[in-house]
Amino acid sequence: MKLDHSLPPEYSTEENRLKILGFWIFIGAEIMLFGTLFASYFTLVDRTAGTPGAAELFGITPLIIETLLLLTSSFTIGLGVHAMRMGNKKAMMAFFAITLLLGAGFLGVEIYEFNHFVHQGVTLQTSAFSAILFMTLGTHGIHVTIGIFWGLFILMQLKKDGLNPATANKSFIFSLYWHFLDVVWIFIFSFVYLKGMM
Amino acid sequence: MSELFPRKQVMGFVFSLVLTALALAVYFFDMSFTVAMTLLLVTAFIQAGLQLVVFMHAGETEDKGAIYTNIYYGVFIALVTVLGTLLCMIWGYV
Amino acid sequence: MDILDRFAIPPHDDPMLYGSLVAIVIVTIAIIAGLTYFKKWGYLWREWLTTVDHKRIGIMYLISALVMLFRGGADAILLRAQLAVPENSLLDAQHYNEIFTTHGIVMILFMAMPFIMALMNFVVPLQIGARDVAFPRLNALSFWLFFMGAMLLNISFVIGGSPDAGWTSYFPLAGNDFSTSVGTNYYMIAIQIAGIGTLMTGINFITTILKMRAPGMGLMQMPMFTWSSLIANVIIVFAFPVLTVALAMGTFDRLFGTHLFSTTNGGMDMLWANLFWVWGHPEVYILILPAFGIYSEIISTFSRRNLYGYKAMVGSMVIISLLSFLVWTHHFYTMGQGALTNSIFSITTMAIAVPTGVKIFNWLFTMYKGKIEITTPMLYAIMFIPLFTIGGATGVMLGMSAADYQYHNTMFLVAHFHNTIIPGVVFAMLAGLTYYWPKMFGFMLNERIGKWAAWMNCIGFLLAFMPMYVTGLDGQARRMYTYSASTGYGPLNMVSFVGAAVMAIGFVLIAYNIYYSTRYASRDIGSDPWNARTLEWATHTPVPGYNFATLPQVDSNEALWSAKKKGHKLFDSKYEKIHMPNNSGVPFIMSAIFFVWGFSLVFSLWIPAILATIGIFACMAHRSFEKDHGHYISVQEVEQTEKKLRGVS
Repeated sequence: MKLDHSLPPEYSTEENRLKILGFWIFIGAEIMLFGTLFASYFTLVDRTAGTPGAAELFGITPLIIETLLLLTSSFTIGLGVHAMRMGNKKAMMAFFAITLLLGAGFLGVEIYEFNHFVHQGVTLQTSAFSAILFMTLGTHGIHVTIGIFWGLFILMQLKKDGLNPATANKSFIFSLYWHFLDVVWIFIFSFVYLKGMM
Repeated sequence: MSELFPRKQVMGFVFSLVLTALALAVYFFDMSFTVAMTLLLVTAFIQAGLQLVVFMHAGETEDKGAIYTNIYYGVFIALVTVLGTLLCMIWGYV
Repeated sequence: MDILDRFAIPPHDDPMLYGSLVAIVIVTIAIIAGLTYFKKWGYLWREWLTTVDHKRIGIMYLISALVMLFRGGADAILLRAQLAVPENSLLDAQHYNEIFTTHGIVMILFMAMPFIMALMNFVVPLQIGARDVAFPRLNALSFWLFFMGAMLLNISFVIGGSPDAGWTSYFPLAGNDFSTSVGTNYYMIAIQIAGIGTLMTGINFITTILKMRAPGMGLMQMPMFTWSSLIANVIIVFAFPVLTVALAMGTFDRLFGTHLFSTTNGGMDMLWANLFWVWGHPEVYILILPAFGIYSEIISTFSRRNLYGYKAMVGSMVIISLLSFLVWTHHFYTMGQGALTNSIFSITTMAIAVPTGVKIFNWLFTMYKGKIEITTPMLYAIMFIPLFTIGGATGVMLGMSAADYQYHNTMFLVAHFHNTIIPGVVFAMLAGLTYYWPKMFGFMLNERIGKWAAWMNCIGFLLAFMPMYVTGLDGQARRMYTYSASTGYGPLNMVSFVGAAVMAIGFVLIAYNIYYSTRYASRDIGSDPWNARTLEWATHTPVPGYNFATLPQVDSNEALWSAKKKGHKLFDSKYEKIHMPNNSGVPFIMSAIFFVWGFSLVFSLWIPAILATIGIFACMAHRSFEKDHGHYISVQEVEQTEKKLRGVS
């Protein structure tokens, strides 16, 4: 394996560079995945058949908390990658752990929100709007959940094998995933929640 | 890239918070639909771009051409899908 | 028996279905018995089920595609037989619906797609001078997911019932109210599984083509098949996620009682059609572009000329890829949009004919003043040009939204899409199969039989589909299991049936060719039997696992021709140890778990579904922790292999 020390560790082997490009292309596909969910959401958003809609369901407080948690987690993982490039394994792992905790917090608030919707009489089966709402938010939420487990597995590998090109590459790719989930949330925050509460 | 203090990350984070706060204006203040949508679109796309370039290091390597092309293509087609669907299903539907 | 009822396993009084079930069971037992008797389980596992070699994966896709070609073809013969005379009673309406549905699903998703994947997998890494694709393990997973998706769909007609709402599966027909059997569940889930595999291929091949080309091969020095593969894979990456979401929404409606596409509670059935075609139109360009790439290679090789207008050929494909996402509404002009919307899509639809036309002219200019050798692949290419042009022209007719009100869902439409897919995709695949066969298997397919088959396919195609243009304009609707004699459609439908039979002979001849050539053809054909122009022919036959002992140095988009004619040195002679990936059983196992997951969801067996879901994530976790860095082939071993192969070729 030829190591290129002029590049940051996550890019230092040919295989590493391939994996990072491959993941960017995957992100392109995910843009279309969420794009399709958004297209469906905007089409169905008013089709509540008389049941509660966006304006009745969404609350500004949980929204702000969720957004701050996720945004901050994006910041902390950025700090983690920065620490990684400085070779500081301990700081990196600490920032990654904080990121995952913030992510878990986000999920907690989202579950609370879903529960609130259900108590308002709005379930997956209630209307077209409710179905696409749960599917859109749920798809994002499942991505976050998978991310938390993935991040945990990487932390375990960092603990066991230390910081090397392979673990650096995995960590960087995970950070791309996490940042992307924040990008998707920005659009959910703006065009699902805020637009619905205007 | 090897400076100690993560300036870019901190500035990026602060800027994201500002953009988020701006977007929240559509909830807290009264404004026309057009103004509100413009505000949301602008803040969302700027914040997304910020994530992409500052946090995800999209422009950093020799692959940046491929990466940016990929993102532009994806965003373009996603927009076509969203707007085209709305056109066919709602706005242009008889 | 109760369990047989639950899974709707066919009763004795449905002879065709029951016969098929018996045939499947017998063939399965025969395969298992054969493998056991010849002690080939180990070989099967080591060499094929766990392989990550792109060439082996390509061959597995090929075998799957050929088997599915016969399945889909059998469907076609039955459909044509039923329609050959008015008021026929060979198939009742339910059976007819199931057969045209599976015909469409199988031919497009489980025949054409894997056929393309087969050629892309085998050829592209060789054409760019690479040792494998960027992600060999992911590549294997792509194949096995496709395989399991195809298997899941194929057992539907004996366990539970086939989907019967058309390959487009429109709602509300595809909803629980009108499609009460689990058939449409099979549709939603089997295609979902295969689609995930295809998306992975898209990511894999884009990375491979962008990053693993031989030194000296810039983007504008790539062979045209590689370019067409790159563009097709770009379309895959952006189109397939749409299908993923649409199928998920359809699955939720059917399994979890949501109201996304229903007629109550705010559901919008048209949204399914919209999302399906947002994917569906790019899908047909995914099919045709690699076919165009194959034709470019074949026409150039057998005209002994450089492909005319390289830049225009590349540019036209880039434009086609963008436009392909802008035309989808032409599939449902008649379903409620206003004139402005329909007109916008008419314009984009007509626009996409232009770059395609550019390609046709460039192929003709390539042949002009060339030294044309009419081999079997070239024969298909020559047939393709006029036939596809007709199909394309009828496409422009259909693309005019006002006129489409006359043509939509008539046999005119059926004729158009077969007119583009058969000469366009199927002939290209058969040509590509014949062209690359010697590199894959070390002997040539017989030319005489091959040409007979090509003519049978061409004449059969014309007889089968040209009458449909006429009956379609006359008013014969598609997807109708019968028609009355007073319509006058009878005679032309009989001609179609004859055409289908002639095509069947053509395909039987191809199967016979494979048997005959395997038995009698000379194995002494060298590594470049066609006197070709591109790098894949610069390998030995059989191609060693590592493809190239040393990576080639490229100077043009026809590196091999340049080496042969201008003395350009392709390979420097210093060997180094070669890093190769290890085989792995995880792709096969994970896909098998996907099969269990899919089957459980189809029948709403929640506990097995949840367990299978956990299994899938467990495989992914295993991969995360896995530390498999492959193995090295020593310089000594490379030398020995090269010496042995040079003796052979």
